Amino acid sequence: MILGRVIGHVWAARRDARLQRAKLLVVRPHAIYEPAFATRHLVATDDVDAGVGDDVIVCLGAPARASLGDNNMPVDAAVLGVVDRIEWRPEAMQAPGAGPGIKRALGGIEAALK
Amino acid sequence: MILGRVVGRLWATRQAAGLTGRKMLLIRPETAAGRETNRLVVAVDGLAAGPGDRVIVAHGSRVRDLTVGADVADKDIVIGIVDGHELKGR
Repeated sequence: MILGRVIGHVWAARRDARLQRAKLLVVRPHAIYEPAFATRHLVATDDVDAGVGDDVIVCLGAPARASLGDNNMPVDAAVLGVVDRIEWRPEAMQAPGAGPGIKRALGGIEAALK
Repeated sequence: MILGRVVGRLWATRQAAGLTGRKMLLIRPETAAGRETNRLVVAVDGLAAGPGDRVIVAHGSRVRDLTVGADVADKDIVIGIVDGHELKGR
């Protein structure tokens, strides 16, 4: 799962039939976990009624479909929760075991939450 | 899923059997604000998208199985053609 912020909606009249009732949100991940996110956004279905500006938890892949209660939805990302509060300890970045990847990811979250 | 712009079509004479008869689209993934990235994705069209359309592209074998069929040799599938979008946050 990844942490991100809802930055908008997208609507499409022509879409896969199974998506007709799905709400589609544009989410900006707070940190880049994969090169695939060079787009700096992803489109996720929403089952928990998140709104623009909310920090959300997004699940990718098969668990995203499972969480929608229908494994036959042709989607690869779903919003699973709206974040109420984040407790954040910047010193975690200085942990002895933290490699450059972890530091970069945590740095991204820190910058986003400021 | 990501947002992208269809920038062209693609044909190949010699190709895997799983691509025969499939409409392949060249798609430039975009940022949420609509700025194009330097990436290029070849996706199979599950709808009737054409060059110039803004589309939603989903990735994965399960998505592929559910939309265009398990026999297709591509994991990037167009699942929606965007009519509009609204960005409010940063």
